[in-house]
Amino acid sequence: MVPLAWLVVAILIVSGIGIAGAAVYFATTASGATSGNLTITDDLGHRVTLPYDPARVVVLGPSIMDSMYRLGLRSHVVGVDCYAPAFGGLSSDYSPDQIARWNLSSSMCIQAEPTFDFEALLAATPQVVLAATFVPAGALQEITDTFRIPVVVLQPPTLSGIEIDVSLLARIFGVTAGANALNTQLATELYNATVVGANASSFPTVLVTYYVDANGYWTFGPGTFGQSLIELAGGSSIAANAAFEYPELSGEQVLVANPHYLVYATGFGLNESAYTSAPFWGQLSAVQSGNLTGMDSSWLTEADPTMILSGLPALLAFFHPSSLP
Amino acid sequence: MRLRRSSPWALLGAIVAIVAVAVTLSSFLGTVFIPPLTALRLLLGLPNACAGTSVSPDLCTRWGEIVWQARLPEIVLAVIAGAALGISGATLQGTFRNPLADPFLLGISSGGTIGAAIVFDFHVGQVAPDLFLPLFAFIGAIATGVAILAVAVSRYGTVETLLLTGVALASLLSAVLALLLLYNPSGSQQVSYWLLGSLGNASWPVDGIAVGVLLITGTLLSLFGRELNLMQLGGDVARSAGVDVRRVRIRLILLASLTTGVAVAFTGIIGFVGLVSPHVVRRIAGTDYRYVLPGSALVGAVFLLGARDFALLVYPTSLLPIGIFTAFFGAPFFIYLLFRRRAGSPMGSL
Repeated sequence: MVPLAWLVVAILIVSGIGIAGAAVYFATTASGATSGNLTITDDLGHRVTLPYDPARVVVLGPSIMDSMYRLGLRSHVVGVDCYAPAFGGLSSDYSPDQIARWNLSSSMCIQAEPTFDFEALLAATPQVVLAATFVPAGALQEITDTFRIPVVVLQPPTLSGIEIDVSLLARIFGVTAGANALNTQLATELYNATVVGANASSFPTVLVTYYVDANGYWTFGPGTFGQSLIELAGGSSIAANAAFEYPELSGEQVLVANPHYLVYATGFGLNESAYTSAPFWGQLSAVQSGNLTGMDSSWLTEADPTMILSGLPALLAFFHPSSLP
Repeated sequence: MRLRRSSPWALLGAIVAIVAVAVTLSSFLGTVFIPPLTALRLLLGLPNACAGTSVSPDLCTRWGEIVWQARLPEIVLAVIAGAALGISGATLQGTFRNPLADPFLLGISSGGTIGAAIVFDFHVGQVAPDLFLPLFAFIGAIATGVAILAVAVSRYGTVETLLLTGVALASLLSAVLALLLLYNPSGSQQVSYWLLGSLGNASWPVDGIAVGVLLITGTLLSLFGRELNLMQLGGDVARSAGVDVRRVRIRLILLASLTTGVAVAFTGIIGFVGLVSPHVVRRIAGTDYRYVLPGSALVGAVFLLGARDFALLVYPTSLLPIGIFTAFFGAPFFIYLLFRRRAGSPMGSL
């Protein structure tokens, strides 16, 4: 039998190993990337040193891919995020339209979920990884610490942050003229929306839903880009005071709120027929009066230039058709 | 099978050899195809490892990193976690004299999941996620183990009380988990992945910590073989042979909780390894816990590594949660073992 004293010693040793491991871990973390000729601060506040105008870039996030494409940087992208190739691959993260427009192929697929595939990332031999925050933070840390590949996190906190990220990409790739042109377009759309909002006599109540089930309607709550987009487009979301960021409103709640306008997200296998089974769908005034429209889900959910250049004008035109400049 | 009566140590040696061969072969398997000979050269650190292939020097360097920094740490973690779950399962089955006991029966996994859910839901430790996730999971698992121990040291600490307390705690913690996910559904996907187990967190520092802990707890557990053998004959017999049953039980639960906690911390929930491995060892090496304990560690290592390799063979370009495959293998195999059980074995009947 092992005496209790031995057990205490064992626990102390185990604790010691844990502390030593943590020390090794932090020592590894502190060293970071050291080579490169450009240092920037990403959206998480991390200072990242990376090669200027890298030729081989892995993009982990459709929203970043959108900016890269609009800045004429598609040829730099050697890999993009995807779900497990055996269970959806690219088509789980990118719509058919995005795959076609951005000329993405399954050979570029780097599995980000359910487990990050470091082998696929390394095989793409990227100089830099651009990532959104849906990628597990532990995986991003591993890419930086173990494989010494600089990681730039691009996750704008607000709609105006999209312009900041475009400028950041311009610094990394030296495409200032293109970025200025894109940012001018973004600023124009944001300004137009502000003018419409200021001139609007009222903000109609709206429900923007991206998924429904037998219990109700999933929508955007406070603090989300979807909510910001609705407000900017001159709408008053019936989920504006919800307790969660992405709440599910029950059929009863939606029926009582009875929004003037209803927007449902399409793409990724969703169309109007998928929504008609939602509770009280046919009894909503917006449905009965035809004040409903489908909209590409990427316009509503991905914080990128397309959200402002396509999503915002589409919502404005829907909510305030007579107020457009 | 009669091998067990002739040379159980030879059998253990054979399993060690199988582990070594499995580790080498496993390094050939990954989501990126590397020619096996090249992978072997890279593994051995030979110069010009990519000679004979058409890959660029840059890609060859990355292949080296794939083998040494991505693939091998994952393989080692599979071996360690499998061994940890295997020996914990054997320990708990012996301690509770219950063939259905496994490291997760006492709610240890549920505790670990709560720790992980707190990290996912409240974005705890974003500055060092590789550290905080396993740390919180470990704390959650150990806290549950300590709660069980509190019952064990009380005067109500019978085998039945302990088992039922574990079941009740697991249910309670499941409710807490559901509440956490309702509070912030954004973490639900990560938690669901966690519940399926993964080797994706592997790295050399992680492996180092896990190896260190397993060496200590595994060695100490293996020293309890004689006591466990006597405890299978009943408490009175064990006590008459000088075994302080209550004290031994507390120590075994503590060590098994520590061992399981480390596995859970780094891999999430991987089912069936702890349940099946001891049954396999008893089938081939007999019921002597001096062999069952180390044997279960070895079989657990082979089992988890085999599940990893099988997953990559079936889905060569995808990394899928490993717990799915241990369940696919473990459940039918466990049923097979039950139907083939030997009459008269202390662990043979349910």
